[in-house]
Order: sequence, then C-alpha cells, then structure tokens
Amino acid sequence: MAWDFGLSKGEEAYRQQVAKFLDRELTEEIARQTWEDLGLWKEGREFARKLWESGLLGWSWPEEYGGKGMPPIYDFILLDELGKRWGAHVPNDVGYTMTGHTILRRGSEEMKKEFLPRIIRGEIEFGLGYTEPEAGSDLSRLKMYAQEDGDYFVINGQKTFNTECHYSEYHWLCCLTDKTVSPYKGMSLFIVDMDAPGITIRPMITMSGEQTNEVFYDDVRVHKSRIVGEKNKGFYHMMEALGSERNYVFVPSRYRPYLEMLIDYAKNTMYDDKPLAENPMVRDKIAQIAVEIETAQLLADHARWMEWAQMTMTCEPEITKVVVSELEQKMVDSAMQILDLYCQLEEGSKYAPCGGRIEWEFLHSFMTTIGAGTSEVGRNVIAQRGLGLPRG
Amino acid sequence: MDFTYTEEQKMMKDAAHGFLKKVCPNVEWYLEMDKDEKGYTDELWQGMAELGWMGIAFPEKYGGIGGDFLDLVVLLEEMGYKAVPGPFFSTVILGGYTILEAGSEDQKQELLPKIATGELIMTMALTEPGTTRFDPFLVETEAKENGDEYILNGTKLFVSDANVSDYMIVAARTAGNKLSRDGITLFITDSKSAGIKMSLLKTVAGDKQCEVVFNDVKIPKANVIGMVNEGASAIEKTLQKAAVGKSAEMLGGCHRVMEISVAYAKLRVQFGKPIGMFQAVQHHCANMKMATEQSNFITYKAAWMIANDLEEAPKFAAIAKAWVSDAYKKVASIGHQILGGTGYIIEHEMPIYSRRAKAGEYAFGNPNYQRDLIATQIGL
Ligand SMILES: Cc1cc2nc3c(=O)[nH]c(=O)nc-3n(C[C@H](O)[C@H](O)[C@H](O)COP(=O)(O)OP(=O)(O)OC[C@H]3O[C@@H](n4cnc5c(N)ncnc54)[C@H](O)[C@@H]3O)c2cc1C
Ligand SMILES: Cc1cc2nc3c(=O)[nH]c(=O)nc-3n(C[C@H](O)[C@H](O)[C@H](O)COP(=O)(O)OP(=O)(O)OC[C@H]3O[C@@H](n4cnc5c(N)ncnc54)[C@H](O)[C@@H]3O)c2cc1C
Repeated sequence: MAWDFGLSKGEEAYRQQVAKFLDRELTEEIARQTWEDLGLWKEGREFARKLWESGLLGWSWPEEYGGKGMPPIYDFILLDELGKRWGAHVPNDVGYTMTGHTILRRGSEEMKKEFLPRIIRGEIEFGLGYTEPEAGSDLSRLKMYAQEDGDYFVINGQKTFNTECHYSEYHWLCCLTDKTVSPYKGMSLFIVDMDAPGITIRPMITMSGEQTNEVFYDDVRVHKSRIVGEKNKGFYHMMEALGSERNYVFVPSRYRPYLEMLIDYAKNTMYDDKPLAENPMVRDKIAQIAVEIETAQLLADHARWMEWAQMTMTCEPEITKVVVSELEQKMVDSAMQILDLYCQLEEGSKYAPCGGRIEWEFLHSFMTTIGAGTSEVGRNVIAQRGLGLPRG
Repeated sequence: MDFTYTEEQKMMKDAAHGFLKKVCPNVEWYLEMDKDEKGYTDELWQGMAELGWMGIAFPEKYGGIGGDFLDLVVLLEEMGYKAVPGPFFSTVILGGYTILEAGSEDQKQELLPKIATGELIMTMALTEPGTTRFDPFLVETEAKENGDEYILNGTKLFVSDANVSDYMIVAARTAGNKLSRDGITLFITDSKSAGIKMSLLKTVAGDKQCEVVFNDVKIPKANVIGMVNEGASAIEKTLQKAAVGKSAEMLGGCHRVMEISVAYAKLRVQFGKPIGMFQAVQHHCANMKMATEQSNFITYKAAWMIANDLEEAPKFAAIAKAWVSDAYKKVASIGHQILGGTGYIIEHEMPIYSRRAKAGEYAFGNPNYQRDLIATQIGL
C-alpha cells in the first residue's frame, strides 16, 4: 500500500486496446447519439455490438453473466477513453452503468440471467422512472401506485423527465406498493417492458434539444417477478442505484475534448496578427479549465478506487457529482468569454467557431446541476453524511 | 491506483501529530513566535532533528533516511496542519534539495549530512526588488569574476529565514540581460560573509522574510552550484518542489480550518439550534470539504510525480499550487464566516491560518503565475 496514481500494466494494456478501437470506430455520428440523448439508433447499436465483439465490453462484470470478472477499474478506463473522444458514455449506458449494478446486487437469480448478459453486451437500454410532477428532489412524494392483483401488479400514474424511454426496451420504475405506511417503506422497483399495453410516452424537448419524456401508465400489468430486490424496499434500492451511478455518470474526462478544442482555437485564432494563445486572459482561463479537470478527475479516481476497494463511502461520489457539474458550467462560461461575440453562433451558422459545440454546451450546462440530484441536495448530503452536521 | 499512505508514512504522520502538538502548544506561543526575531524555539528545531525530519528525503550516504519526496510531503502536511513556524522548509527544500539535485559530490558530502542533523540552516535568495510580478528569472544581482572568486552585488527580497541561516543559495547574474533564463549562476554563500546586510520584513503571516543586501561580497569559485550561467534549471526544479511542498502545508491548513469550523458549527447554538443545522452553514461546510478533497489528491499526485520523476511533474506541480492556493484562501474565508466574531479575535487559532493562507498563496508563484506555466505546458 502506497500512494499510486498510475495504471497497472494490465490496465494500461486494456486502455491502449480501447483507445485503438475507439480511434478507428467512434465516429462523430455515434458520439452525437450518445451525448445528445435523442436516441441510440442503428449506428450506435451497431457500434455497441462491435465493442462487444472486439472483446472490450463487460470486463468488470462477473464471468457467469458474460463478463471477465475483473475489478471495476476496467469499466472506468472504458468510460474515460470514451469521454476523451466526445463519446460521453458507453452506448446504452443506463443499463450498463446505472441499473445493471442494482440488478447484480439486488435482483433474483432469474432476473440476473434474463437481463445481465444483454446489458453486458450493450444490447438493451433502460429508462429511469423516478421523477414525478410532485416528486423531484424529494422522492418520498411519489404518487404512482402498483396495486397487487394475484401474480401481477396493476400500475397507474405519471412519470416525468424520464429520458431514454422513447427508445429503451425497459422502464426502471419506482412506485408505491403500499400506501398505508411511510413512503420510504412502501415503494418498490420494477422492470417494465416499455411496449407493455397501457404505457403512453409524450416527448418533452429540452432547451438544448435533447429529448426526455412524460410517461403515463394506464392499468399496466406487470408480473411480480419483475420486482427488483425486495418488495417495499424500493426507496433504498433506488438510493443505492443513484449512489452507484454517481461514479459512472460523472466522468471528468468528458471535458478533455473541450479543453483540447479551446487550446486549438486559441493557437489558431488571431487578433492583431497574434494568436489568442498569447493573450494573458485567454491563457489564464484555459489553464484554469485544465486545473479543474485534473482535480475533478482525481475526485472521480478516488471515489472509484473506494468502490473497488470496497470501502464505505459517505459522500465521495456526491462530491464528484457536485464538482463535475459545476465545472461544466464554469468551463462553458470561460470558453464563451474566450470566443467573445462568436460564442453565440450555433452549429450550422456561418462563422460558428468550434462547430457550435460551446453554444450547445451552454444550453446543456443548466441541467448538470439539476439532473441526477441538484447541487443543493448534494451539499446537504456532503455536510450531513460526510461531515456529520445535524439534519435541519 | 492507490490512495493510501505506506505504513511508515502513517507512523510518521502520527508521530508528527503528537510531537507538534506538544511543541506548538497554544495561540499565545504562535503570537510570541510572530514577534520573536528568530521565530521558532530550539525545542522545536532540535526535536525535529532528533526525529530525523531534516534528512527524511536524502539518501543514507549523505546522512539521510533514504525516503522520498512523498515522505517529505506527508510531514509538510502535518506541519501545515499545525502551522509550524521556523526554517524547516527553507533548509530542506530550498537549500538541501537544490544541493542534492545540482550540487557537486563535495558540496553534497559537506552540506547534506549537516542539514540532516539540524546543524545547518539554509535558504535560497532569489526574488529581487524588481520582481513586481513573480518571475524567478528576473535577476539583477550581479556576480563578477575576480581571480578565484566572484564578487556579488545586489539586493534580494522575500528571502525566507535568511536571518537565521548559515548559508544562502544566491542566484546571481553572470551573463545575459536581467530577464534572460540563461546567465544565472547559483552560489553557496556564507550568511555571515562581510558585505551582507539583512533586515526583517514585516509580513502578514509574521513569518521571517528578509531583505538581503550584498555589497562586494566575495565568494570562492568552489561555491558555484553546477555550471556557471546554467542555474535556471536547478531553480526551476527547486521551485517545483517548493510549489508542491507549499501545497502540502496549505493542505494541512485546510484540514485544520475545516476541523475547527465544523466542530464549532456543531456546538455553537443560535436561534435555538446548532448553527450547523442551518443550511447556509452546511453548504459552507460542504464547500470546504470539496475544496479540501481536491487539494488533497492533487497535492499527492504532484508529489508522486516528482518522487517518480515523471514527465508531467512540472505541469502537475503548477496545477497543485494553483488549485491549493485558491482552495486554502477559500477555506480560510469560509472558516472565518462560520466562526463569526470569535474567529476574528487575535487569541483565536483562526487568524493564524488565514494569515498563512495568504503567505502561501504568494509563495513561489501565485495561482495566476502557475496558470501561465500550465498554459505553456498544455501547448499555449
Ligand atoms: C434533462 C433532464 C433529464 C432527466 N432525466 C431523468 C430521468 O431519466 N429519470 C428521472 O427519474 N428523472 C430525470 N430527471 C429529473 C431530475 O432527477 C430532477 O429534475 C431532479 O431530481 C430535481 O428535481 P426537480 O426538477 O423537481 O426540482 P426540485 O426538486 O423541485 O428543486 C427545485 C429547486 O429547489 C431546491 N431544493 C429542493 N429540495 C431542497 C432541499 N432539501 N434543500 C435545498 N434546496 C432544495 C433544488 O436544489 C432546486 O434548486 C431529469 C431532469 C432533467 C433536467
Ligand atoms: C470587530 C467586531 C466588532 C463588534 N462590535 C460590536 C459592538 O460594538 N457591539 C455589539 O453589541 N456587538 C459587536 N460585535 C458583535 C457582532 O454583532 C456579532 O459578531 C455578529 O452579530 C455575529 O454574531 P456572532 O459573532 O456571535 O456569530 P454567530 O451568530 O454565532 O454566527 C456564526 C455563524 O453562524 C451563522 N448563523 C447564525 N445564525 C444563522 C441563521 N439563522 N441562519 C444561517 N446562518 C446563521 C452566521 O451567519 C455565522 O456565519 C462586533 C463584532 C466584531 C467582529
């Protein structure tokens, strides 16, 4: 045991393999499908298949479900390499990095056999069904209800902001199964076929053009074998899933392409016959972006390391989440100051610098401190769980 | 990847914690050290020497313990936690490491063992009155060859612990114009040499920074470190270690400020509850925690890179110094906010840290300077 910030030989060899594959196969079209959340279509799915067939997916998953039984760092290496190339995340990432781990930890053997091999191969996708009109940060206010009926549950109600649902195979649904007790003790998690009769999906388009959805359930019948983990333990399973996704979703390497893009811009854009790279303000802002990416990367590395060393985490992944999401907003603001007037130009406009990515990122950056838990709630968690301050 | 201390480092950290608590007993003591010309006690210096700290990172053949830069950083973090005054940093990093990296075998044989035992106090005289923006290569102090000697003339500023030093490593110009990287030579200079005049500057942190005036000071040629005119790269290497070493001290300070403030937030009752129950205070505390965690890992990563002599070490040294300087400043100001009026009183521990945070921020290049170095490193 000693401080060590490097990769082992085996890890580095895997990283190089992944890098080589991605440099060859990851086109802009596919990258866009992952980052824009419009849907993983033919090209994206084809890319996932190739990734699996090249033997690069699933290293950190148990062998019995098709993985290689290696530690989580291999999946993190994959995420980091994708991030460095605008890849944003693995194709079908809700399954691979969010719900899959909870199925592995909490699901029945039958459920694991049904879902894990396809998740590991990157074949299926889930949409997260937590948020409701009256339940955002406070998920104890869920209203949606599943009424038991023999071997089935009959579900009615509405979800909102459920991204991916318009192209995912499954809905990862949290709803009440017992209304007579405190909501914390009366919720369950279900896996529902997205095309089950009675489900209606209505698109909600965000200010940056991504699609998320309202999902309506009208007497949707779901077999009880589709409960994940224990009935009425859904709140805790959901919190666990939200906790573990932190380490996989907030990937600082995703900002490295922006950094490189800005360095490139500054070197190749002239003012008064001199490159912007010589301007002290420009240098300072770009360097600060580099500083924040490196320090955020270390937060992620540390929380991930805790995960595979099986240490108890209190607020470490939460810290990564808050820091990374705020980094994104600061980064965009700095980038826009560097681009000055041109920062307003969107993709496709005459004169748009950096392919319009900065303008898009500005629009997108508002959601980072909200989605998957707001910065305020994050800070509450850090103060209370991390530092032991009393609940208000 | 591994985010843990070695067993030896853990033991050393615990020992340091206990020892420093004893020798730096209370706020009154710090205030005395501020006023004291020397600024530390023999008990402190001798104790550190007995624990082997001055030689922790030097090879055994020079009287050291054979540890590495990471071991030293572990100690510096503890020293920052206790806001330890005195010439340890100047002696070991500015003096010892420069000689270890760039000195001749004779110079190493002669000086390092004495540093390791605590017999010698050293520092580096680099900055000058012309350095109105930090720039290690702005050197106007002049060294003229004269037979077997060099004759030194000029003024150095912000020289830490020169007043208690036995030797100073002086950067002087032997060629080139006042800003050129080439033409700087490093001289081991006896601090008691004829023609040297020193005076203490009054500083925000009460640390001992001096003005040192050289007036026809004679230095034997044998005292040149490395090659004549080629001192810049040794200076650069020392400054990288100094940046990370200072980051480690500041990191220790962040930890202490957070500890005091969070403890206070749990105890102090206003409006019928502990102030730590108010969300505004909780968010302050969360901000401290985030800034400190980032400081922790970036400091150790930079130190690990230096210890392993990795290519990206200079970049990470600058990143660490830029980040941790900003973080400590922020943590200290939040600390003051949480402590309310109490923390503003001179007998409170808090001002010791906020004052040092300011000194640390400007030592060896402030964050703006570091970001300029980073910009160059990333290709701008
Ligand atoms: C683009 C996008 C995609 C999304 N995708 C999904 C998805 O796929 N599945 C899904 O289930 N959800 C999804 N969400 C929903 C997301 O999880 C919620 O938006 C988020 O949890 C916040 O809830 P809210 O929007 O209702 O805000 P609210 O909870 O109403 O919060 C409003 C404000 O009040 C603050 N606040 C609330 N409680 C506290 C408190 N205790 N202390 C201090 N401040 C507080 C918040 O921090 C925020 O500033 C998505 C959201 C967006 C924007
Ligand atoms: C130099 C100086 C001169 C002064 N002169 C005078 C004077 O002449 N006469 C006089 O009577 N007083 C004087 N004061 C006292 C001053 O008014 C108090 O320091 C001030 O009201 C804050 O109280 P406190 O220091 O006890 O901090 P606390 O009230 O203990 O506050 C500690 C922290 O908790 C936070 N906090 C407290 N309550 C809440 C809440 N409800 N919500 C969120 N956060 C909260 C505070 O904002 C602060 O960050 C002076 C103070 C100073 C520093």
